[in-house]
Amino acid sequence: MSQQLYACLHAAEFPSQALLRLRPDLQSLPVAVLQGRAPIEQVCSMNPLARLQGAATGMTRLEGEALASQNGGLHLLPRSLESEAAARAVLLECVANFSPRIEEASSETACAFVLDITGTERLFGPPRALAERLRNALKSSCFRASIAVSANFHAARMLAVSSRGITVITAGEEATALANLPVALLEMPDDHAETLAIWGIRTLGELAALPEVDLIARLGQSASGWRNLALAAHAHTFQPIEAAFSLREFCEFETPVEQMDSLLFVGARMIDSLALRAATRAMSLATVAVDLALEGKRVHQLTIRPALPTVDRKFLLKLLQLEIAANPPPAAVLSLTLTAEAGQSNKVQLGLFAPQMPEPSRLDVTIARLKAIAGEDRVGSPVLEDTHRAGSFRMSAFNAQNLAEEDKEAPPRMALRRLRPPLAVRVALNAGQPALFHDGRQSYKIATSFGPWRSSGCWWSVDGWDSDEWDVLAESQGTRVVCLLVMDRSKHEWRLEAFYD
Amino acid sequence: MSARSATALRLEIEHALERSFPAALTPEQRTIRETASTGIAEVDALLDGGLPVGAISEINGPESSGRTTLVLSFLAQRTASGQVCAWVDADDAFDPESAAANGVNLRQLLWVRCRKAGGLVQSKQAAKPWTQLDQALRATDLLLQAGGFAAIVLDLGDTAAEHARRIPLATWFRFRQAADRARTSLVVLAQTGSAQTSPAHGSNAQSSAAVALGCAAMSPVVAGGTVLRGFRFEVRNERQRFTPFAPGRKKPPASVWPAACAWDVAELSDDDAAFECARVLEMENSA
Repeated sequence: MSQQLYACLHAAEFPSQALLRLRPDLQSLPVAVLQGRAPIEQVCSMNPLARLQGAATGMTRLEGEALASQNGGLHLLPRSLESEAAARAVLLECVANFSPRIEEASSETACAFVLDITGTERLFGPPRALAERLRNALKSSCFRASIAVSANFHAARMLAVSSRGITVITAGEEATALANLPVALLEMPDDHAETLAIWGIRTLGELAALPEVDLIARLGQSASGWRNLALAAHAHTFQPIEAAFSLREFCEFETPVEQMDSLLFVGARMIDSLALRAATRAMSLATVAVDLALEGKRVHQLTIRPALPTVDRKFLLKLLQLEIAANPPPAAVLSLTLTAEAGQSNKVQLGLFAPQMPEPSRLDVTIARLKAIAGEDRVGSPVLEDTHRAGSFRMSAFNAQNLAEEDKEAPPRMALRRLRPPLAVRVALNAGQPALFHDGRQSYKIATSFGPWRSSGCWWSVDGWDSDEWDVLAESQGTRVVCLLVMDRSKHEWRLEAFYD
Repeated sequence: MSARSATALRLEIEHALERSFPAALTPEQRTIRETASTGIAEVDALLDGGLPVGAISEINGPESSGRTTLVLSFLAQRTASGQVCAWVDADDAFDPESAAANGVNLRQLLWVRCRKAGGLVQSKQAAKPWTQLDQALRATDLLLQAGGFAAIVLDLGDTAAEHARRIPLATWFRFRQAADRARTSLVVLAQTGSAQTSPAHGSNAQSSAAVALGCAAMSPVVAGGTVLRGFRFEVRNERQRFTPFAPGRKKPPASVWPAACAWDVAELSDDDAAFECARVLEMENSA
């Protein structure tokens, strides 16, 4: 059996990383993250630029604002636990591509995972090559993390916390590598830490050099564990976690956003991330639910449904843009959440002799644009209702598909052109039959009429109908038309419903 | 050497006959347009096969002239072959029941119902009211650019002729180019002021239309029995580009075609007729 090998990645200042990950506009600016209840918030995390400007953990908001007024440009953002949870899921999914056995070793403001990379040499090469690939993968997801590889779990964890970049310890040299690290990494109780400080023990190397029996006699049995940790000889039972596959991205804005461009700027990064995560699993995005949290604790929900699952980022972004343009949020947006459902990748069998059909992705964008022009419910395929009510139909989504039928030799049948809404007319009767009608502009003399054709239904509900239909051949100023007149028996009103054409 | 001599001889003869017969021995280059059947034999005969593919066809006529029935019959043929079509409805006058009765597969039809003038649609830049005609033109443009539609019907049948004629010529040029590139039959269903209007003045697409049909006002209806039936319509070929030259053949200037009504019984096949007779006999015997 090969020797155990662990890789630990440590993403320090995780609250600031989680907030800046989807905000490229803030990544080049000094940003500090505040936590706590107003007005006594304190800085809990910051990016390197803010640290260079003098920001430090534990600063109050007033101190941060004073620093911002001195140097200018320091941005103070509130901490968002939801953003951190979404970022943690992305980070976990990213590292899960390198090993299925992962244990979490996060602290309060840092997110850390230890990967069991035993036996991955044939897949990823030597440990350093794996660490570099892991760091590049994290970089593409906008995370900064230090990585340490060691045969000992705790040695990898402590080295990742205290070092930058990539550290690889060869087997047997763990104690030497840990020798210069501070004792504080052991997270021992304060009284024992104070005792060690009084003894002048400040590094793990100095602790490891103490005799074990004398140390236990003075500090108790737990001192043996700390000494083993310092010697990188402490055994660890790996407790793997399972990364749940969830395509969700969340971004909270520091101020309410009203401009659609700002939303799309962030939405583009979120769609990029979702598409990348789906693509790594050889899947596509079937639907994307967009939840916009608005001022006043309201939520504006939208859904993007491409005709075929896709990972085309530009196409999805265009659909998002058209969807927001068609259904703009009624108030300023506080946060944006994208939740995607994964689907199988698009597989279309093309045929040389198949009839030309619209390209699904282009058709989606076209229909979204048409809906923006004509209205959400006014574009689609008509579906006839199962009723006797004349002119009833509903609109359904248009799906371009090849439904070839046998050639029909049926003769053409006279079509109707409907007036929506029907035009109210005044009708003069002669012997119970319409003889003349006036539509408000001109009078039509009825030459021939056929009817009445009585139709009624749904009398038990509000939308019942009871009408007499007349097919009339009318003439006005030399123009001859055939039209459909309807007498609403419940309201005793005449309407011009349609023209035969 | 002999081929070169033949070429020289042909050029010499053509040069000699140039005044009387230009390019007498050179075959005329012609564009052969693919056509699609309208489903009405009389109209197909008038158009040498049907409406052109990849070009603009214009069908003008007053109300009750059969123009909508003609277009629905055309769409029925296109959808029956598995292709998808679109109906851009400027006045929201399309009747799905009539389309289904004519054999149009509604699942393969994209219907764009333009809003009434009262509806406001927010444009990108600012709130701007789009008239129904503007909406219809924009929708047609988008569909032509998307490609893949076998036929797109721009229904301006209830739009006043004076408004439709204000559509800029550049729009029709763009539509013609896009239809040619996408191999789409763009059918413009338009209105003429009256039956007596000159077709040249009634054309909206003007020189961009490959085919312009004029539907005449309805002939008197033959009222048979107690229901309306017996429609007959006249359609005139007002304009046809790319007509193949056929010496000695003269096309009819107009065709007359009949249309049934939705309540007319379709002709029964022999098997169905035999079954119907057996059913009637059985009913009589039982009585």
